[in-house]
Amino acid sequence: MPNDIPAHARERLKGLRTAAHETGVFTSDFSVNEFLLVRKANFEPIGLCMGTCVYHVGYQFGSWTKNQEMEVLSKAMYHARELAMTRMRAEATAMGADGIVGVKLTIKRLEWDEHLLEFIAIGTGVVHGEGHKGFRAHDGGPFTSDLSGQDFWSLLHAGYRPVEMVMGSCVYHVAHRGMMAGLASAGRNVELENYTSAMYEAREIAVERMQAEAAAAHAEGVVGVDIHEGSHVWKPHVIEFFAIGTAVLPLEQEIAPERIADPILVLSVND
Amino acid sequence: MSDEPDVPEGHEARTADIEAALRAGRVPSATLARLEAVRAGRSPWVATLTPAELLAVRSHGLRPIAAIAATCWMYYGWSWTEGHAQGWQTALNRLKEEAIAAGANVVLDVKMRTVPLGVEASMDFTLIGTAARVEGLPPSDDPIVATVPALEFVKLLEADIVPTGIAVGAQFDWLNDWYGSTNQAFAGNVETTVLSQFWERIRQRAHAELRRNAAAQGNGVLAHINFGQMFKIEASGQAPRFLGRQIVVATTVDAPKSRKPANMPWGPPPWGESKARPAVPHEIGMAIDLHAGGTSLSGRPRHHQSYASNDRQGAI
Repeated sequence: MPNDIPAHARERLKGLRTAAHETGVFTSDFSVNEFLLVRKANFEPIGLCMGTCVYHVGYQFGSWTKNQEMEVLSKAMYHARELAMTRMRAEATAMGADGIVGVKLTIKRLEWDEHLLEFIAIGTGVVHGEGHKGFRAHDGGPFTSDLSGQDFWSLLHAGYRPVEMVMGSCVYHVAHRGMMAGLASAGRNVELENYTSAMYEAREIAVERMQAEAAAAHAEGVVGVDIHEGSHVWKPHVIEFFAIGTAVLPLEQEIAPERIADPILVLSVND
Repeated sequence: MSDEPDVPEGHEARTADIEAALRAGRVPSATLARLEAVRAGRSPWVATLTPAELLAVRSHGLRPIAAIAATCWMYYGWSWTEGHAQGWQTALNRLKEEAIAAGANVVLDVKMRTVPLGVEASMDFTLIGTAARVEGLPPSDDPIVATVPALEFVKLLEADIVPTGIAVGAQFDWLNDWYGSTNQAFAGNVETTVLSQFWERIRQRAHAELRRNAAAQGNGVLAHINFGQMFKIEASGQAPRFLGRQIVVATTVDAPKSRKPANMPWGPPPWGESKARPAVPHEIGMAIDLHAGGTSLSGRPRHHQSYASNDRQGAI
């Protein structure tokens, strides 16, 4: 068990159901459907794994009239998430999990200091029912995935396995418009090209970083990608582009390929 | 590849390249290089699709290529309302350019987005989706833009309906109340006819524009966003003025009226080559749905956040 896990966390992990401790309890944040489908996929939940990081985001001032990446802030947002995820993964390793499903990554503002952000990663550690280690990530540690239990089952039956939650962040300062520019376009609808290009550059940087992580994890592709925008503690005109998804690899041996039925299309009569 | 684009290094060069590309109607070099690397299999594919939708990949030969996005940031020097039509249209054209660069036939799961930066008298119009290729079909120079997720796309295809794009109708008008018709201070229950007619006129025009815009892309639309606002502007000593605006956005579909068997790349239709196709070829049965989430066409989860203030009126 890694040394850097706090004593009380170690106590909690010891009480979980493992191969050595079969009468322990398992903890999870699964819904009923999720629980059933994770079991159907031949995995068992063993325990919730968590990682927290309170981070003081440093200072950087964007030039009023300039589009630019705020590297200090980009690094802060990335590093803090990375720390929270690493701690979560250390807990999963300690409990002997093969992977973590349903990872939720949240950011909270702490009220008394606008530079403090709390990053929380939480997910359910799972083990393969027959002790198959082939589902672990390329470094031998547990895989991580933000996919729900249902999605996990679907992914395995689509012939893929999750490897790693991958992400890319770019915090960007969008320039302010000069007074003269405002006058020149009065009475007309025009595109603000410098703003558009700011969005393009920021998004491209975030996506490229995520893709580089996926390539480093030797993934074939990335599913469930979301590219979203958020403003956390910063002045107006500063925005974070954040790309996140689950990197996947094809299964070495497909699960009963002859039994993978074509999906049944459902026309719901309830909505 | 020998025709690999030169990727500009550094912020200045990159920005200059992006702006030149947008003006010339081409894809920025950095994005182009990324799309070509994925297309050639040199870097991982990226999809906004869910794992369940990868099953559709398997069964229907849809291959995700890359997550693509397009933006147009409009300044409303003339008209806020018309700016919305222009903004979405420009973004739509740019999204198609990226899809072409990725070698796609279709862009799936297209979401309409706006960043929460309150920049005066302007707004960004962003479309994000997954460029995909249908196995057995050559890359298209006019890719389909589908605002539905992959599963609903497949569902529509099986019923021989193709979601083709996004249509917008946006109209506004001013009303000067010279005769005080809207002043009903001591009236009882009575219709404010002037404003009813004012609204009716704007809405009719917005929907007429939606129909014109949709007709160029398909023969029907599904799932409107209906966004309307009316403002009263008062100045002392002047008659009150009213501004009304209506924006309608919808997914266009192409649903053939004749029911000839479709020739899909994944084989003959299940109801047989020679028979007229049924409108929906599937049996209806009862099922317990393990995926509890909603779909974009039913409005859950929200598939756009650009008109969050009154999206209860409709969804896309």
